[in-house]
Amino acid sequence: MKKQTKAALFGLTLALTSALSMTAFAGDSDKVYRTVDEIKESGTINIGVFSDKSPFGYVDENGDYQGYDVYLGNQIGKDLGVDINYVSTEAANRVEYLKTGKVDIILANFTVTPERAEEVDFALPYMNVALGVVSPDDHVITSLDQIGKDDQVIVISGTTAETYLVKNNPEIKLQKYDAYAEAKTAFENGSGVAWANDNTEVIAFANENPGYTVGIPSLGSNDTIAPAVSKGNDSLLNWLNDEIVSLGKDNFFHKDYEETLLDTYGKDYEDTLVIEGGQPAEASTEAEAAAAETEAATEAE
Amino acid sequence: MDFGAIHEYLPLYRDALFLTMRIGWQGILLAFVIGLAATIILHFRIPVLRQLTSFYIELFRNTPLLVQLFFIYFALPKVGLRITPALCGMVGLGLLGGAYMAETFRSGLENVPLIQSESAASLGMSRMQAFRYVVLPQAVSSSIPGLVANVIFLLKETSVFSTVSLMDLMFTAKDLIGMYAKTVECLFLLVVFYLIMLLPVSILGSIVERRMRRAEFGS
Repeated sequence: MKKQTKAALFGLTLALTSALSMTAFAGDSDKVYRTVDEIKESGTINIGVFSDKSPFGYVDENGDYQGYDVYLGNQIGKDLGVDINYVSTEAANRVEYLKTGKVDIILANFTVTPERAEEVDFALPYMNVALGVVSPDDHVITSLDQIGKDDQVIVISGTTAETYLVKNNPEIKLQKYDAYAEAKTAFENGSGVAWANDNTEVIAFANENPGYTVGIPSLGSNDTIAPAVSKGNDSLLNWLNDEIVSLGKDNFFHKDYEETLLDTYGKDYEDTLVIEGGQPAEASTEAEAAAAETEAATEAE
Repeated sequence: MDFGAIHEYLPLYRDALFLTMRIGWQGILLAFVIGLAATIILHFRIPVLRQLTSFYIELFRNTPLLVQLFFIYFALPKVGLRITPALCGMVGLGLLGGAYMAETFRSGLENVPLIQSESAASLGMSRMQAFRYVVLPQAVSSSIPGLVANVIFLLKETSVFSTVSLMDLMFTAKDLIGMYAKTVECLFLLVVFYLIMLLPVSILGSIVERRMRRAEFGS
């Protein structure tokens, strides 16, 4: 698949006519993923994580990957008995990395949505999330109505916040950035009136940076975050689901929270954020819905 | 290929094309002005300015546009100078292009044999007249291929504008892929739109080149 895509792209630049046929060729779905046995055999698993989204996936001062997602990644590597190769990803690349087989699992704070479930397979969830909007203290935005028609809201390309605003509030002008680091700097520079993102992220930002308030702590529906694998990789998907259920028996995800998120969010958010063993506390049906999302999405097509 | 999706994305790509062209051409115009000014400063060996110009050319020719944009857009606001993304793109492209244009003009000037300005002087022309009527026309004509290459190079450099949140062609494609995951369709449109933008420039460039060369060598 990878080679074919490359060839297709090469063809595109050479001649548009030949490109047409070659892209159709690249569109054919070959098996791009690796099964659990193949991963074990190779001795290394490739996991896509964020490198700039503290405290979920980031690189610490020693150059090591750290965070809530990475903590789970380390456990997965240990339980599979293989080395881990962390691949840094941007929000907009996550689906693509799985579709091209660049990584085996995406553990990059990946919110489960029906659109994404058409492209990748989600395992059981391990965290709750909604959208949030943070703004400077001197002009706190508590409702989207307060955003003027010339004001710009900062979002990161390829996130659920972007999709939500494009779909539900097309009148709001968005200022889009590629990466967390750039969006953060632009927001600090005052380039936009507010920043819309996962509420976990904006709460963390407001806690770490005085002068900012999360005026809208929960926007849109309550979603879950789950590991994702390439479409059709049932062997790895089933293994992950079993892993998440069995880790839940030892309260693994609460431990993960206490190790990685406690400093940022404090005790108060622990039960709101953590999903243990793939079962959200308030509604266990939600977890099943998330896991079955793939099937539902394909049926709906 | 999902032609429905292609149809749906076309207006977005069209907007991106206009934005890319608008900022691209403004930047290129600025690059020409800066390049010409730098060339004149270097050619007439204006003290102090000459050293500053050399420094500018080396600085911008040896750093990537991405870094320059980062600096202009993210670092300057820290010292209180905030500019819009569009202005940042234009200034960044103009400064980068200016350095390249200056080098191209310089090579064109060096191409004009010394005897040309000596002959002009012997006809009683002033230094300025010799430059304006004898040296510059020949220099411009021999630097046309280089200038056209620069223009195409600069238009392609716009693909890093995404870093300052400009919805140029590249960013539009990446953004749509991130939202709807129609990779092949988005990349196909991307290539098509870059060709729409750049093919006419290449063709026009070779026509201009032929015409200017005729002025140099006769038809």
